[in-house]
Amino acid sequence: MAMPERKNDEPESISAIRAPERSRDNPLTRSLAGILGMGVLVVMLIVCLGSLPWTLGSAMDSTGQAIGVPRYDAGSPKSGRLPPSWWVYDEQDIERSIRAIDPDVLERIAKENGVEVEELLDACDGAMLELVEPHWPRYWFGSDMLGRSLGVRLLAGGGISLTIGIAAALISVSIGTLYGAIAAYMGGKIDAVMMRAVDVLYGLPYILLVVLLAVASDAMVDEWVTHNKAKAKWMQQRVVEMQSQDTGEAISRADARVILGEDQRLYNELMAQAVQKYPRRELSAGARTMLDVLTLLVAIGGVSWLTMARVIRGQVLSLKNQQFVEAARAIGSSSTRIFVRHLLPNLVGAIVVYATLAVPQAILQESFLSFLGIGVKPPLPSWGNLAAEGLGELNTYRSHWWLLFFPCLLLGVTLLAMNFVGEGLREAFDPKRQRG
Amino acid sequence: MTESTIEQGQSLTKPVVAEQPIMQVNNLAVSFDNGSGPRIQAVDGVRMTVYPRQTLAVVGESGCGKSVTAMSSMQLVPRPPGRFDRGEIRYCMENGKIVNLIELGESEMRQIRGNEIAMIFQEPMTSLNPVYTVGDQIIEAITLHQDVTAKEAMQIAVQAMSDVGIPDPQGRIKAYPHQFSGGMRQRVMIAMALACQPRLLLADEPTTALDVTIQAQILELLKDLKSTRDMAVMLITHDLGVVAENADIVCVMYAGRVVEFANVYDLYAHPMHPYTRGLLASIPTVHTKLDRLTTITEIIDNPEEFKRLPEADQGVTPWWPWHDAPVDLCKRDEPAGDYVLRKVAKDHWVGVWRTQAVKDDESSPPELAFRIADQESH
Repeated sequence: MAMPERKNDEPESISAIRAPERSRDNPLTRSLAGILGMGVLVVMLIVCLGSLPWTLGSAMDSTGQAIGVPRYDAGSPKSGRLPPSWWVYDEQDIERSIRAIDPDVLERIAKENGVEVEELLDACDGAMLELVEPHWPRYWFGSDMLGRSLGVRLLAGGGISLTIGIAAALISVSIGTLYGAIAAYMGGKIDAVMMRAVDVLYGLPYILLVVLLAVASDAMVDEWVTHNKAKAKWMQQRVVEMQSQDTGEAISRADARVILGEDQRLYNELMAQAVQKYPRRELSAGARTMLDVLTLLVAIGGVSWLTMARVIRGQVLSLKNQQFVEAARAIGSSSTRIFVRHLLPNLVGAIVVYATLAVPQAILQESFLSFLGIGVKPPLPSWGNLAAEGLGELNTYRSHWWLLFFPCLLLGVTLLAMNFVGEGLREAFDPKRQRG
Repeated sequence: MTESTIEQGQSLTKPVVAEQPIMQVNNLAVSFDNGSGPRIQAVDGVRMTVYPRQTLAVVGESGCGKSVTAMSSMQLVPRPPGRFDRGEIRYCMENGKIVNLIELGESEMRQIRGNEIAMIFQEPMTSLNPVYTVGDQIIEAITLHQDVTAKEAMQIAVQAMSDVGIPDPQGRIKAYPHQFSGGMRQRVMIAMALACQPRLLLADEPTTALDVTIQAQILELLKDLKSTRDMAVMLITHDLGVVAENADIVCVMYAGRVVEFANVYDLYAHPMHPYTRGLLASIPTVHTKLDRLTTITEIIDNPEEFKRLPEADQGVTPWWPWHDAPVDLCKRDEPAGDYVLRKVAKDHWVGVWRTQAVKDDESSPPELAFRIADQESH
């Protein structure tokens, strides 16, 4: 029988008893794709989040004066739907580009070169074009139908989408892990009750939950700003006090409301005092936006932990009957210690996989909810609603491809990087995947 | 084991000075919830005693309550569905204090687990946490009970690993469980159990999952450790060969009760309960040509087998759950009232029916401070 030939450079094998120390590698640098993904993700985060002060800041006009419109929302429909500046412009693009130039500037050019403004407007090639070309509005990533720079909107949208995606995933993973693990670990009736609660929440359409959360948070913010309820309560209390002073009889708050409804003069008088007592609080548009985004990510995180809870519960159920848990108890570990030290590390694989899936899911849910008008409201961009707008602009006559392509490209690259990072992390946490 | 060693063992039996047993199980009953059905009585009135430096082998078929008895003494029986119905497990702590293990609170119990009583399990493959190195796990056991620095704990762990015969403990301490073979993992488990110098080791079928070579090594190791550390061992096993080689005292259990309790020489030479005789008869013997082995049923189904106890003529009949009780049964109005663990001969206890002849017997835990090691040294 022919023996397989051994390569010359391969060392002769030695007995397992005399095996030398294995060279150990750093688990975090084990997967090249994971490191690349991490790099892409970090760059994306730094660029998008770092530029937020600039993209959300006020835009300038041509003279450098702040115009009170955030940069992501600044633009004029005249320069709408222009392709990326490095793309080949066709006649229509050139014509719109020229018309988008400030009339004053056009006039100045015409005067300096001794040509008519009309001629400049009709320029489509040659010397005339060279005159106006430096003054075209230029957008690296093109502009949308309202003439806003897609690049700026992508940056701002990226900041918002990534924040929502990562924060919502974190919320859902931490709630889901804790909930599922506790349910499984406690077992018995507690497990049954906790998991039936999850089943009930599963049964409700999640859109309904999100809408409820969004509406409730809106109402709370409104109350915080206007104090309507506090004012009404204070006025009714005043009526009750006045009544008991005047007639000595105690009336209920409901009666006080009726009195206020009937006596317009008293109402106006008390209202004036109430407004004095509870001045309207100011909430800037920026803060309001932040609150909207916050609501959105709490809503998404708050409903997407259900799957996580079920997955983790299953894992813990199978883990807690493993003998090493009993062995840990037999050496005198407390329940908490077993949970934190022996169960959670064994769950890392499942948690990481789910988290990498939860981030893209949250980003997509955000775009869907934004489409319904909950959460990220236009003109505030997010990758999701930029892509949705881009899809609407796609047609066979003039494609406006950049409006769809760039948001999708960024979204895709981010999600891919996220998956590589997840894979790398899973490998890093799994001792069995160690390379020698 | 040859006849001559048995004879020798018996002739050398000497009165041993009274000493404190390390653990005494008295009338322990544990039952489990069975959903809508009646509770399952896994252990019903078990009595046994372990002395320091002694190996008590608990044998019996699956489900007879061996493991539940051991688990109860560390309160590792999940409750619910489990429940301690009655009885006590008296344990003599290192400081001489006597406690009832099944009544201790969780925090007191944690001080006992690992520190006073340690346990090794049947499945070395799943008894170690796959995400930690074996060193981490041994060190955890140490730091839970001893006030030592990380460096000292590391040294203790290395020492524990070399004590159980793991080569190159310094290097292997950083390895993960999956990088060990089954026998080595069981050694790690033993190192973990012994790291805190427990005074009683519960070995729940420690060698069932291992091949015979490794089994012999592990048992030899336990034997050595027992003598070097003054440790008592409760060895739970199915394997009568293992029992003969390692045990001082044998406790045969059936259906949650002790059916026979004696030192290993007496038990193998003169088994008194038909079930024990059945167990021993079913072992094939070398040099004896047989078409088929004797089964336990053959012995149990023979009524003559039940009439061989010393006082059989007065109605002392071995207890057996599948037989009708003798006609003169004097059942007491208490759980397991139809059964009594009776001392039928010197240092020999057998579970019998509570018939007229033994109706006033008070069951007390069987006590035998016998040790083979003492015999050999004399």
